[in-house]
Order: sequence, then structure tokens, then C-alpha cells
Amino acid sequence: MFSWYALTLTDYVVVGGAIIASMFLLHRVLRWLHVGREAATGYALILPWIIGFLVWNLGPFIASLYLSFTEYTILSPPTWIGVDNYVEMFTDDRRFWTVLRFTLGYSLFNVPLGLIGALLTATLLNQNVKGVGLWRTLFYLPAVLPAASTALLWRWMLGTDGLINFFLQPFYTLFNLDKPAWLTDPQMVLPAYIMMGLWGVFGANTVILLAGLKNIPRDLYDAAKIDGAGRISTYFNVTIPMLSSTLFYVLIIGIIGSLQTFTQAFFIKHTSRAGTFMNVYIYQEAFERNHMGYAAALGWIMLIIILLFTLLVFRSSPAWVYYEGERAR
Amino acid sequence: MTTHEATTTTATLERGRAAGRARRGAPDEIAIRTLVYALILLGVAIVMVPFVWMLSTSLKSQSELFVYPPQWIPTPVQWSNYKDAWQALPFNRFLVNTLFMTLLAMFAEIFTASIVAYGFARFRFPLRNTLFVILLSTMMLPGILTLIPKFVMWRSVDRIDTFSPLTVGAWFVWGPSFVFLLRQFFMTIPREIEEAAVVDGANTVQIYWQIMLPLVRPALLAIGVLSFQANWNNFEGALIYLNTLEKYPLVLGLQFFGDSLSREAPKWNLMMAMSTVMAAPILLLFFLAQRYFIEGLTVGSVKG
Repeated sequence: MFSWYALTLTDYVVVGGAIIASMFLLHRVLRWLHVGREAATGYALILPWIIGFLVWNLGPFIASLYLSFTEYTILSPPTWIGVDNYVEMFTDDRRFWTVLRFTLGYSLFNVPLGLIGALLTATLLNQNVKGVGLWRTLFYLPAVLPAASTALLWRWMLGTDGLINFFLQPFYTLFNLDKPAWLTDPQMVLPAYIMMGLWGVFGANTVILLAGLKNIPRDLYDAAKIDGAGRISTYFNVTIPMLSSTLFYVLIIGIIGSLQTFTQAFFIKHTSRAGTFMNVYIYQEAFERNHMGYAAALGWIMLIIILLFTLLVFRSSPAWVYYEGERAR
Repeated sequence: MTTHEATTTTATLERGRAAGRARRGAPDEIAIRTLVYALILLGVAIVMVPFVWMLSTSLKSQSELFVYPPQWIPTPVQWSNYKDAWQALPFNRFLVNTLFMTLLAMFAEIFTASIVAYGFARFRFPLRNTLFVILLSTMMLPGILTLIPKFVMWRSVDRIDTFSPLTVGAWFVWGPSFVFLLRQFFMTIPREIEEAAVVDGANTVQIYWQIMLPLVRPALLAIGVLSFQANWNNFEGALIYLNTLEKYPLVLGLQFFGDSLSREAPKWNLMMAMSTVMAAPILLLFFLAQRYFIEGLTVGSVKG
């Protein structure tokens, strides 16, 4: 039984030793090739990343592109089938569209709502309130909890007789509605995940935005006051522009993170197939149905979607993100 | 600046201050402040209720679970839930596995990230900036994309269902964001410190180990807590690489526990107890080292 630990410990020491040795070796070789002392040391120091990049990023990146054009069950070598995987995905696979719509829908609500809610909270906490540290800690708490614990907790609260329905009961009575079955009704799966996602993402965003708010120089506010600007106009003309680079960061991180939701889905165990995230679908195709080639193609579509969204935000940024020192006012 | 202008500015300033003083005591100011506190308390309530519910459920007896309206304070407090849940599966072993993997991965991750960050921060070499941009751009690469080839690679060296894929890879800089964070810190240290050490005859290894690392201690602690958190919670990797129950880390054990419980009458009290146990070390760390959590979280945002 302890041989498992011994095996990994051996692997760990051998690989770690080899990395360190190769750093020294690279330094020697570069010096021998008359590379300057500073450059030789620099290259030697970043060697772990270079190897990591080649072996863990670039190599698998290219390999997955290749695999996406093949049919591959891990037991036999891949066979080239051209663009069939992609054709199947777009024309034949109904599930793909459901999954894509669900993943995008989730991000479309989760990211903006998480951003606006956090901005409001951070603004409140920035009003010279007493005990900011304590409030910040409490708001941040859900974001610190492991995703597994959080998701199990929400699965418990979202039950038909759970806490959420208890709190929403007056609302149901008012509109004469039935208690929704958050975890089994395909219509309710998106709101259920959005609620849970917001609870987690909101606190982290609040902390980041609060740090951004504290970074805005005080004299800008004093100047605005002298100019006779009111609260509201100061907020929109000083605070928001000065915070825009932080908002931009939160937005990018939020998009990348929410499109890749994975762990939560495994603990929520929604019974309806309507609520499958793209990453979960890729996992199921690859490791449960053994369609490795098809899963690789799905992964590439995922990459393209992430890149498109990031590019969109980056492209739009000159219109709304203000970097200090970039232009004279 | 003419005298006239100076007087006008001072006058404006005075007027502004007077107005501010007048406004502070005004009833609408009090109303606004009350509203601010009320909204903050409301927000805290929304955020804390699920958390309190988790703790409360974890201490309830089976018969109290579905009492309506919900009961917040369990009577009697049933501490034995924690013991029962812990003994339902080999959780001792899961804990050992989690600690084993977390510590190995953490050390390698922090060690290599700091070396690479030092290289990028302090040494000039051709293509340095290009390489750094490549490093940053790998953050956008979705993990699931490279997962299949990585799985094939680990399979080809016969390391599926071992701890190696979850630990050894950390030697190759898992977290580009850690490198970014540490590089920011290294760049704030004045070069004179190193130059003095070079004059004293110190070599690069000595400078890095004895001078630079102690100086970036806050940043090391920041990525330390982030790394602990990430490895402790690493579900995706464990799910893919580990098949034997005895090799599960806590997070995978928790999922298995949830699945096995839902087949019978759901024992939510036990499940919430295990959720709490899973979260406890992270929470403890958070309360002890909150500064570093926040440091790690916010550093990326400050200078875009």
C-alpha cells in the first residue's frame, strides 16, 4: 500500500532533481557558447517554465488539434477522419447545442450580475464605514469555501423543501405559484446555477473592486468637490473611470472562469440533461464514452469561444477603460 | 499665479469645506449613512445565511432535517455526526492522500514559480518580453483542451491511478499567475541590494536563496495560500487520474460520499458535516492569513 506513496515520491525527486541539474547544465552550455553571463543565468532560471510550456502546453495543444481530426478510443491508435468531428458537432449533435446554449447563458447572467453586485457592495464598503475589515471578511467567506462544499450546500438548500423555497414562499404565495423543483426541472436549472455561482463569485469580486476603489487618489475627490460636483456625478465621472481597469480585469477573469465551470456540476448532480456545462460534456465524451477525438474537437470549440469573448472585451476596452498616464487630460 | 487667482482658489476651498461641514450633520446625511449600513447588513445576511445553515445542519439529528419552518439551532447539538460521517468511508486515508499531494505540489509549484519569476524580473536576455507574454497568454488556455493529450502522456508512462500526475507536474510551473505575481514583487526590490552582494562575492544561487527570497516573503506566502487552496480542492485532476477508492483525496471522497448517500434516505446532516470538514482548513488558513489571500487576489488587478 505504501508503495503508491514511494512511487510518486521517487518520481517527484527524480524529476525535481533533473530540472535543477538541467538548469545548471544549460548555464554551463550557454557560457561555453560565449553567451553573456546575465543572459545565460536568465535562460537557466526560466528553464522550468520553458520545459513546462513545451511539454504541458504547446505539445498537448498541438496534439489535441491533431486528435480533433481523428477518431480515437484510447485503446487503439487514432484514425484520421478529417473534419468529421466538427461536422457532426454542428449538424448532428443536438446535445452540443443544448450544452453550448446553457454554458453561454450561465456566463451571460453570472458575469454581469456578479460584477454589478460586487461594484455596489464595494461602493457601500468604501463610504468610510466602520469595521470595513470585518465586512470584507464576511463577504469574501463564500469565495474561500471549496467549490465542492459550496455545491453540496446549495444542493441541500435548493431541494423542493429546502431553505431557498422557504425564503421564497411569500413570493410564491403572492403570485400563486408552485414551489419550483430547482434540481429536477429543466426550466429551473439555469436560475439555480446562477444563484449558486453568484454567491461564490460576488465576494471575490467585491474584494478586488474594493482594493481598486482604495487605490483612487483622494485628491481627485477633493478636486471634484471644489468643482462643485455632486455625489452622483463624482461617482460616474471620477470613480468609475478610475476603476475601469480593475473592472476590466474582473470581467476577463469572470468570463474565462464561468465558461469553464466544472466542479460544481459534479456535486449539484442535476437530474436534467438540460443543465450540462461544456467542460462536463467534454469530460463525459472523453472519459465516460471514450470519444477522445470528439472531445478534443469540443475542447477546440471551447478555446475559440473563450478567445472570441476575451478579444471582444479587449477590443472594446479603449472605449471604456481609462489607464492613468495613457493620455493627458 | 496672480494674487487674485490665489484668493479665489482659497475662497472656493473654504466654501467647499464649509459646505462639507454643514452637510455632515444634516438629516439627509444621517439618512444616507443609515441606508449604507442597512444595505451592508442585508448583504452580509444574504452571504452568511447559507454558511450558517451548513453549520447548523451538520449538527442536527436526522429527524430535525426537514422540520418546517427551518430550525436554526439544533437541539440537542449532535456532535457525533462528524464522527459518524468520518467513519463512513476511509476518510483518514483520504486526508493523508490530500496532505501528501497538496504538500508535494505546493513545494514544487512555489519553488519553480519563484525561480522563473526571478529570472524574468532581474536578468536581461534576448526574447525575454516575448517569452513573458507567451507565459501570460497560457493563462487563457482552457485546461480541458490539453487534458486529453496529458492523460495519454501519463498513461504511456504507466502513471494512471497514481499520485504522480497530480504532483510531479508542479515542477514545470503550473501557475503562470504565480510567476506574474512574484515577478511584480521582485521588480520592486532595489537593484543595489544585489549589486552589493555581487561585490561581496555572492553567486546567483546565494543571492536568490539568502537575499531575494526573504525579501519577497509576503508574496511567497500569498501564492502559498493560493496554491494550498488550489491543490486541496483539486477535483478535476483527481477525478480523471485516480480510480482506486484508497487513493482518493478528500474532495473525491466527498463526492463519492454524496453519491452513496443519495441512494438511500439523504443524510444531509452527515454530508454537511463533511462539507464543513473539507472547508475547515481553508477557513482556518483564511482567518490566520487573510492578508495574503487578499494580496494574491488583488495584485493582478492593480496594474492590469
